[in-house]
This record gives sequence, C-alpha cells and structure tokens, in this order.
Amino acid sequence: MARVNNWQLGREMSYWYPEARPQKQFAAVFDTNKCIACQTCTLACKTTWTSGKGQEYMLWNNVETKPYGFYPLAWDLNLLEMLGGQEWDETGERPVYQGSTIFESAPAGERVLGWRPEDQDYSYPNVGEDDCAGQVDGGASLAASHDMAWFYYLARICNHCTYPACLASCPRGSIYKRPEDGIVLVDQGRCRGYQECVRGCPYKKVFYNAMTGTSEKCIACFPKMETGIQPQCFVNCIGKIRMAGYLNTPENAREDNPLDYLVHIKKVALPLFPQFGLEPNVYYIPPVHVPTSFTSQMFGPGVGKAIETYRSAATDSDLAGLLGLFGSSERVMTRWRRIGETVTGLDDDGNVLVNVPLKEPVHIRPAYDKLYQVTRSNCP
Amino acid sequence: MGPNQFFNSDNKDRDTIMLAALTGNVGKIGGNIGSYAGNYRTALFNGCPQYINENPFDIELDPTKPARPKAYWTAESAHYYNHEDHPLKVGNTILTGKTHMPCPTKSLWFANANSILGNVKWHYNQVFNALPKIEMIAVNEWWWSTSCEWADVVFGVDSWAELKHPDMTASVTNPFLIVFPRTPIERIFNTIGDIEVYSLVASKLAELTGDQRFNDYWKFVNENNTDVYLQRILDNSTNTKGYNFSELHAKALEGIPALMNSRTTPKNVGYDQLTDSTPWYTKSGRLEFYREEDEFIDAGENLPVHREPVDSTFLEPNIIIAPPHEALRPKGPEDYGAKRDDLSCETRCGRNVVYTWEEARKTAHPLVKDGFKFIFHTPKYRHGSHTTPIDTDMVAILFGPFGDIYRHDKRSPFVTEGYVDINPTDAKELGINDGDYVWIDPDPEDRPFRGWQNDKRNYEVARMMCRARYYPGTPRGVTRMWFNMYAATPGSQQGAKEREDGLAKNPRTNYQAMFRSGSHQSATRGWLKPTWMTDSLVRKGMFGQGIGKGFAPDIHCPTGAPREAFVKISKAEPGGIDGKGLWRPVDLGIRPRNESDAMKRYLAGEFMKRK
Ligand code: SF4
Ligand code: SF4
Repeated sequence: MARVNNWQLGREMSYWYPEARPQKQFAAVFDTNKCIACQTCTLACKTTWTSGKGQEYMLWNNVETKPYGFYPLAWDLNLLEMLGGQEWDETGERPVYQGSTIFESAPAGERVLGWRPEDQDYSYPNVGEDDCAGQVDGGASLAASHDMAWFYYLARICNHCTYPACLASCPRGSIYKRPEDGIVLVDQGRCRGYQECVRGCPYKKVFYNAMTGTSEKCIACFPKMETGIQPQCFVNCIGKIRMAGYLNTPENAREDNPLDYLVHIKKVALPLFPQFGLEPNVYYIPPVHVPTSFTSQMFGPGVGKAIETYRSAATDSDLAGLLGLFGSSERVMTRWRRIGETVTGLDDDGNVLVNVPLKEPVHIRPAYDKLYQVTRSNCP
Repeated sequence: MGPNQFFNSDNKDRDTIMLAALTGNVGKIGGNIGSYAGNYRTALFNGCPQYINENPFDIELDPTKPARPKAYWTAESAHYYNHEDHPLKVGNTILTGKTHMPCPTKSLWFANANSILGNVKWHYNQVFNALPKIEMIAVNEWWWSTSCEWADVVFGVDSWAELKHPDMTASVTNPFLIVFPRTPIERIFNTIGDIEVYSLVASKLAELTGDQRFNDYWKFVNENNTDVYLQRILDNSTNTKGYNFSELHAKALEGIPALMNSRTTPKNVGYDQLTDSTPWYTKSGRLEFYREEDEFIDAGENLPVHREPVDSTFLEPNIIIAPPHEALRPKGPEDYGAKRDDLSCETRCGRNVVYTWEEARKTAHPLVKDGFKFIFHTPKYRHGSHTTPIDTDMVAILFGPFGDIYRHDKRSPFVTEGYVDINPTDAKELGINDGDYVWIDPDPEDRPFRGWQNDKRNYEVARMMCRARYYPGTPRGVTRMWFNMYAATPGSQQGAKEREDGLAKNPRTNYQAMFRSGSHQSATRGWLKPTWMTDSLVRKGMFGQGIGKGFAPDIHCPTGAPREAFVKISKAEPGGIDGKGLWRPVDLGIRPRNESDAMKRYLAGEFMKRK
C-alpha cells in the first residue's frame, strides 16, 4: 500500500499503487437538476457498445431514480452499510474525511472492501423509477423544497477514477489507466475473468461478459474523445445535463477550463460518494430540492454550498453562461469565456467551437414580411 | 401528456385560460396556459392543402408551379368509429351535432397510427364488436403493432431512419422546422416508402381504369422528387414562405435546423391579438368565456363550471358542481326522455345534473357498492410516445420497474411488462404486495367489451392482468397505468401457451404483447361529450385564418376521454419468481413501505456523520 493524496477527502490515503496522475484527466459534470430520466443516454451507449452476446444485461451508462432506484440492486446501499461510520470533520478550513475508504477498510488478504452482485441483481434496471421518499396519501401540494416527497435522477457512467478500485483489485494487472487522458480500460487480452474488479468497483461499473470470459466497462468513448468529440451519452443527452472535458487538480485549476471552473472554483459540482476514496471524476451538481442529509451522504459535505452557488446563477452571468454551454456542441470544450451576452466554447488552441447567447433571445418578426409578401403569425 | 384528453377538459381549459386572461397572462412571453397536443402541428403548415387537397381533376405537372387545391373529401372524427358508429343518444334525444357524423365506417387505412386501432381506447370492444362490420383494414407500419394483428393488409414501410423520400414537420412546443433528409442508411428489411404505397396503388388503378390521372397525381413521387410537394407547402405556409427546400435539405444533412418564422420566437400564442389587435377565432373576435350557444346552455356549461370526470371519480360521475345561479338552467335527464337516476355509461355522457359541493360530496360512483375503489388513469410515458410501441428489448427493459432482459420469471410476457401504480396503503389493504400480479376490472356494463359475459374465449384475452407497483407518489384511491403498451391478442396468448420460452409472442406474426391478458385499454371506453359535438360553435379552421362552425377534426370534436376509468383491483398471483414468494426488490428491503433497517438509514442520510 502506498500513501497518495486524495483532494476530495482533504487528506492522504492508502492505495494499492503509488500516486501517478495522468497528463490530463478525463472528467465530466452532470447537472442532476436537468435530467429527466429519459434514458436516451443509456440507449445511446447500449446501441453503440453493448449490443453483443453476453452484454445483454450491461448498462455502461444507466440512470436511476434516487432514493429507490439501483442498478445493480442495492449497489450503494450495500457498500455504505459495509463501510460503517463515514465521518467528515468540517471544523477546519476545508472538510477532511475521517472515516475510512474502501482501500483502508479492506479485509485482511483483500485489496479493497467490496462485494459482488448476483446475477439477479442486474434485473430491473429501472426499479424505483419516479418513486418518491415519503408517501403522498392525499391532500398534498408541491412546495419549493419537497421535504415531504422527493426523488431525483442520477445518471451514472464509469467515473474513470484517479484511484480506481477496479484497477487495484485486479490480480493480473489487466486494468490500466491511460497516462494521456486518465481513461480506465480493461485489457481484453490479459483479462482472465476473475471478476475481482466487479467485486472491487464500488460503483459497479465493470461487468463480466460470460460469452467472452472477460470483464468490460465504459471506455469514455475514447475513439471519440481522441478526436475532440464528446462521448455518445453526452452528445445524445436530451436534457443537456452533461459536459465532458479534462479536470486539473485543485492547485492547478484554470478559470477558463469549464470543468475546473465548476468543480474547483465555484465548487458547484461534487464527486459521487467521495468517501469511498477513489477520487471519481464525474461531478454532479446536486439536486436543489432534496434534503441535504441524503445528498450529502452521496456527494459529500459541499452540498449545501453548491446548491447556494447554483441558485445564485440567476445573478451570476458567468455561472449561468457556462451552464448554458452544456449540450451546445458535440465537441469537447476545453476552454470557455463569456464576453457580455455571448458565451463561447473553445478548444485548446483557442479555436471557437460554439457561441451561445447568455439568454435565449426573443425574435419578434414584422406582422407582414414585405420581401416574401406574407403575414407571419403565431396561429397560422 | 393528455390532460387535454379528459372528458371535462374543455371546461377545465376555459377556466384556466380565463384565469390567465384575468391576470393579464395571455399573449405574453412566459404566460399562457397549455398542454402539449401533437395534433396541432398540422396547422403549422397551412400550405398543406397544396398537397392534400390538390384538385385530382386539375393536376399541376409543372414542378415550378403551385397546385390548385380543391377538396373533394370531408373529414370524419374517429371517435364515432370508436363508438360502434353510433352518435350519442340520451333517452330519445340525439346529442351529436349533424356536422359531426356523416357516415358509418366502411374501411380503414392508416399509417403509423396505432391509436386508431391497436392502442385505441375501449380496444377490445373495437376489435370484437366493431371490426367485424368493417370491410377492409389496411395499415402502413414499420413495426408489427397491435393494429397489424387486426389488419387485413399490412404494408411494411420505411422507418423514419430509412426515409428515401424527404419529409418535414414541426412541433407546437419548439420553434424548429424539422426536415428529414434522404438518408444514406440502407433499409433493414424489404420495405418501401410510406408515400410509395399510395403511389403504387394509384398506378395499379391507372392500369385497371386506363385513367392516367391516377399516375399524374403521384408524379413527383414516381420521379423520386417529392421535394416539389414539400416546396409547394413551404411556399404557401405563412411561416415558411421564403424557404427553399433544397437549401433546407442540404442543411438538414449537416444537422443544421431551421426556424419556423412565426410572429415571435419562441412562439407565443396571442401575441398577434394582443399587439396588433387581430381578432381571436371567435364570434365576437374577443376571448369569450361565456358560451351563449343553445348546446352550451342546455348542457349547463354556458358559464365555466366544474364537471366531475365521466368515470374516474369517487363521486357521482359527470355531475356539474356549482352553486345555484340564474344563468345555469341545463336540460335535465327528463328533458331528454331519460330517467334522472340512469347512470348507465351512454346516458351519463349527456346527463346534466347540478349539485352544490355540499350535495356532491355525499354522492358516490355507482360501482362503489360493488367494491370498485380506484380511479384509473392512463397518461403517456417517457419511454414510448403516443402510438410508438415498446417492442425492442433494449427500450423495453427500461420501461418501468419490471424490466428483466433474461426473464428470470417465465410468466413475464416480454422482457418487461405492463404494470399499475398503486398507493402502498391501498395495496396493503387489499393484500397486494409490491410486484404481485393483479386483475383490474372496469365497469362490467360494457367493458372490456360489450357482451363479455357470454364470450368466455375473448374475455380471456381481454381481461386486464398486470403487475402492481407500490407507488408512494400517488394519492390513495388513484392508480395509474401508462398508455403505450402492446395489448394481449389471441395470438400473443397462444404464444404464451405454446412457446417453450413462454413469451407472449404470436407464433404466426411475431407480435409481442406486454400483457399476459388485456391492456390498459381494457378499462377505457369512448365517451362522447355534447359540448364537443355542437353545430353552432364558431372556431378556427384547421389551416389559415378562416373561421367556421361546428365539426372540424381535432378542433371541435370529441376527445373520447381515453384516459379515465373507475376500477376494481384484486390480487392474482404472488410477485416472486414463477409465483413463489416476494418480488426480489421487496425481499431485499429496498422498496417503499418494505424498507430494511439499512434502507431506512440510507433514506435518512444516516451513513454520513458530520463534525
Ligand atoms: S468507476 Fe469503477 S470501473 Fe470506473 S474507474 Fe472507478 S473503480 Fe474502475
Ligand atoms: S439523456 Fe440526459 S436527460 Fe436523458 S436520462 Fe440521460 S442524462 Fe438524463
């Protein structure tokens, strides 16, 4: 075991291998407030990558309703229960996780604390859809904060973790993290199907294929990312909740990197179960309407502030503008800027990929179009 | 999602729009009230008559010139076809206006519209009682829908992804002019374009009759140049004139959309009236909230009032609830020659009885005494739109909570199945567990179909069975089932019995049902509302600025109220695999009202501690 720095925990932790950060790290921000659970992302991925034999049950991308949705069944609940006390010390300048991670609480002889789902746990991938916490028996009405009855949608892919548990668990070293972009892959030639990765990944995002006898997982559509195009589940997202890019460490954060801005500078997007200790790289803007007791358990102690910041987008043109860039281009926008009413997504070389207006413009056309000699009407 | 498809929604909409008007919210960006209704996209292309009404006796063959439309057809509402070709008769009085129902149905030919037959309300009445009287049913489809199961002729046509003839559309809720370009994608099956089906039938008619005009009418289809028809529509539509189709097509190939040039973007209905003082499409040209027509006075709806739903209510159905008012003088049942206490389904549609709320609250739905307890709603769902079915396994496993690609439970008709959302307390009272199979029985008077009592074989197909899901988000007494599921057919039941895998898949057609028996349309029926069938209401025409009176399809005609019923629910089989024990998620303690201790801690966020 090595000692590595996990900034999400505010401390060092133990990991099977020494710290070796990639040149750049694939990362993403998902805005849970905009997801409608249409599952278009799930299908975009499934039809692209997992329509083969042995892959029938696999959803590299899935969307589940929280709190009652799970794919596989009880995936996070089981591990939270196994992990025990998950305490955060918030008395200092920034929160420090004082509980133990899945690496630190690994049973003797094992590399991580994990569990392996049974075959049947992958059934009912949309269980819990739209089920709310609390029961609406009648006489209910909606209020701004749905303390009485709430649910939200959690879209999930592999987190391409900085400290992948799948990688750490593999006794053959078949899983590797690409130094050039941090994408985590299973070497299909080396894998012998021991499924230690399936057991080890707390997010249950590695899947065993009984036809090939090997394990497989989300590849962050690396052939697309390599050419500067966002993955399938991003570009097909109906709610425009997603943005893919590359994330720096907090000390190297750049204002003009969209992900750095949201994660490090505004701190409006938070990791999924940071307490597991993997430094996962998909960041979530937490739902604003859910009791923070639940969302803090899932996204860590920054939830309250993140929601406050998110709500301030109404008066924060930079934040609002950047959120408006989500889903505006297929291309990976590694840089961004706002000048006045225009928000721009750019690539590393400063080429403009897309311009988006800060506010959706209203066009009012003349009632009579002289050029084409026709009336323009809202009730044609 | 269908809130405009309830029996009382004309009243409801008049009320809410009146509120918007009184508060100055009509015609302003961010104002207005509306629910999505896809039908109204047709009107967005008011140049459509160029194509659908081209005069068949005066056909324009020059691609650069416009057609000279002259309509030789009149529309007919499908709701009478869906009502065994009967108008609404209450007592001795016909309450369907003369403009509404010109003739009975002889044949049907429709394209990609499963709701006309397979997914029609009161489906089993339609197929067992109405269809035998129809001479021909033809369907253009790209998947084998329930409609295909009941059709005489099925034409396999291209899906949207395979279109070789371009097309275009628009939506009432977004600003885009959407062009489907010719696709380079190869056809998966041996299909042809939808439009070619018609042109080929026409060329056969030309051959049989020797009349060349049958061919001329489809000239630009035959020449693979439907762009001509599309351009004519563009040139003659208020908000698309000025567009060139080939330019739009080139852009569409690159994924670049075009805007509809409506008066405002985003489109904001009422802007023209408010800003330019153009008249509304009413008799007076103003927004009218009092209805002075005799039919409305007779119905007690001259003032905006509340009507209880026609079936989905715990109270006496379809009563008007209003305090006494001198203007409210409806014709009661006796005026129509009916008995006051006659609540049979037909009579109920035209029953105008006014109660105060104090009186109304003491009433009950006539079926309550027989153990009926549940309002049953069938709105639309995110995983299947309108008539679009759920027949690919990848989509199906995400359709609701019962998807299981490996079908561990061999009772499942498919890799997913129909289910009803029920309040957990209600279910518990009935001894129904989360995930159990249940029977859902509607009003036995005429559902699932008239005469079911003496038709055991068809009743076995039509009686609704599905899974029950504990759904904490629904109030007590209110249940919900989604609208988009393939119904059980004699063939699907045969498959379930004969096939080794037990799939409810027709061995002869490969039709795949999502129910072991019945459908969400086992409980619904066609309800006809008199105020939707008047001859006197002044309303907008389908295309352009003209106004007219009486029937106009999708503008002034019944909705049939396809989303409501009042039902009895009873347990059929346990939810565990092959009928043994509990449905697995219940067993694991992760379901509402069946939470394990760990799940309770999870919900309360107790796994995290803060200092
Ligand atoms: S989410 Fe799981 S599969 Fe993905 S990198 Fe992290 S540990 Fe590995
Ligand atoms: S496509 Fe986007 S909006 Fe739809 S479920 Fe996926 S993440 Fe949510």
